Amino acid sequence: MTARLYVNAVGFAAPGIESAEALRRHLAGAASAPAEGWAPMPACLARRQALRLSEATRIALMAAEQIGAHVPRDGAWVFASSTGEGGTLAEILTALRGDEIMIQPIRFQNAVHNAAQGQWSIIAGATGPMTSIAAYDETAGAGLLKAMLQATIDGTAVGLVVFDAPMPEPLLEKRPIGLPMAASLALSPAETPGSIAALDLTVVTGTAATPSTPPQAADSLTASGNPVRVLLPLLQRILSPDGSEITLALPGDAALRITAMEAADAR
Amino acid sequence: MTLARALPPLGSLAITGSVAVTAVGRGRHAHVDAMRTGRSGLAPCELPGVTIPCAIGAVAALADAPFPAPLAAYDNRATRLALAALAADDFAAHVAAALGRWGRQRVGLVLGTSTSGIERLETVFRAWSGAGPLDPGYSLRHHSDHHAVTAFLMAHLGIAGIGYTISTACSSSAKALIDGAQLIRSGLCDAVLTGGVDSLCLTSLYGFEALELVSRSPCRPFDAARDGLSIGEGAGFILIERAGDGPRLLGYGETSDAVSMSTPPADGAGAAAAMREALGRAGLLPEEIDFVKLHGTATQINDRAEGEAVASVFAAPPAAASFKGMIGHTLGAAGAVEAVLCLDAMAAGLVPGTAGLAAPDPAIAIAPRRESTPGAIRHVLSNAFGFGGSNCTLVLGHA
Repeated sequence: MTARLYVNAVGFAAPGIESAEALRRHLAGAASAPAEGWAPMPACLARRQALRLSEATRIALMAAEQIGAHVPRDGAWVFASSTGEGGTLAEILTALRGDEIMIQPIRFQNAVHNAAQGQWSIIAGATGPMTSIAAYDETAGAGLLKAMLQATIDGTAVGLVVFDAPMPEPLLEKRPIGLPMAASLALSPAETPGSIAALDLTVVTGTAATPSTPPQAADSLTASGNPVRVLLPLLQRILSPDGSEITLALPGDAALRITAMEAADAR
Repeated sequence: MTLARALPPLGSLAITGSVAVTAVGRGRHAHVDAMRTGRSGLAPCELPGVTIPCAIGAVAALADAPFPAPLAAYDNRATRLALAALAADDFAAHVAAALGRWGRQRVGLVLGTSTSGIERLETVFRAWSGAGPLDPGYSLRHHSDHHAVTAFLMAHLGIAGIGYTISTACSSSAKALIDGAQLIRSGLCDAVLTGGVDSLCLTSLYGFEALELVSRSPCRPFDAARDGLSIGEGAGFILIERAGDGPRLLGYGETSDAVSMSTPPADGAGAAAAMREALGRAGLLPEEIDFVKLHGTATQINDRAEGEAVASVFAAPPAAASFKGMIGHTLGAAGAVEAVLCLDAMAAGLVPGTAGLAAPDPAIAIAPRRESTPGAIRHVLSNAFGFGGSNCTLVLGHA
């Protein structure tokens, strides 16, 4: 399968790197220094409201809100996360250890893997198709593939949000993720006046993924163990298209081969 | 898009096999028999450590079957449910035939689940001292990870095409069918095993209890006296292939309520939009639907909202029923399991009724059927709704 998608907006969030532009500067060599006690905090919610949500949901919302204006209200959204609301589940698991088990209702309804997707639908008033995907370390590839299917089959704009955040101990040791990270792409099957890049995507089988370390990226991102990190080479090429090809691993014996171009060069 | 023009139509894809395992039994015969006799699999909850006075839909004798030794790392209640479904009605042979027909790399797997193998993690967590590391023998990747059951099935069945997991709470496995169809239509796969698995666990039981949504008796969908849901467990698989004989996934619709994480709007607007989209994709008029398989969780608000939604789509609502009084709410597995039960009813010439429904609530806009009766279903519309305002409707049947 081969498809062309246009990128109409890019979002990124990680400690000290809170926009696609900040990521571009960082990938070009600028140092990133998160403030002491940095925590993900989306701008689309009042701080008090946001603090009721998990770190995973908040980092996802930070990425979603950066592209929200570029996806129509009835557009499709794909949220992809390996661990999802693992942090919230950890709180429930702790409650289950008690002699008398009491779970807070809000914890339970926010423990579902699609909590971030649900919260975003409410914030954005988005009423179209939304899904929530997981595929362990290939979660990012699966998310982009699903976005590609949705965009090409239905000819619709798609917002893609890929995110993961560390779980607390003792689960962290079982799935080490060093920091929260989220990336987002507003994609469409046809060029729009605001398109910043075009992607040619081909599904290939039996191809190993390229190493996910883009030049200059801080170890804190690339060595984070966060499944979102494999998108860094793609994000780098979208933000500074050079016509080169990257490969993103898919779950199963397959990969996505992607060439990013300036939208103008793709005409 | 050139691609869109080249796509094979949805209706050309074939459902070449389906199977479900639930509290009432394993495979088609058990489910048709339960529908015919009105038998429910819901029984008083005797799970160790649970003090909630409620009924659950447990699958019997899961621990008795041998587990494939090379994949022992994946052994938990969720993977055992999946194995039980593969064994029922010789379903694994259908998958093997598809692998033989198309080749391992051309067969995909999309599974829906809300809790994966978390039941195992609960046990480990409850045995943990409260400080230091968890049991070193516990592997998150093989149990509570959302993708664990999918990874297990790929290894167990030798599926090498694309495989991923959908987790949108109680709509998860209905949506898996959509992904399966998309993967085939796009040319990435020739066959996709779709479906869902969710096992009983403390997280779901105590979570719904915290929301005051667990019934004190076997649940009574759409009944005037309904007081909440009963939690069940199950696995359901639907094998979709590029070509072949069998019923079709004729249409689907997906919408988001965008109002609340856990409660639908009173008018069921998002659910109605999903049903309309599914009818539109199927190219069917409402009057061409013979049976509506309701999500029908038996909570006060959900049933009323779904009734409003169905009544707004269908000027004259067709026969409708909920399976939740028979098998309980199988959560992430419900969409696929209940779609399989629709196919079972269709094949048996049965229009299902609603176990647990005695006196339909006059405040609800529709009155589902109580008893199953002989009858032909050509087109069924099947609803699955989940937390996060996630609505999914499937239209299944013969073109």
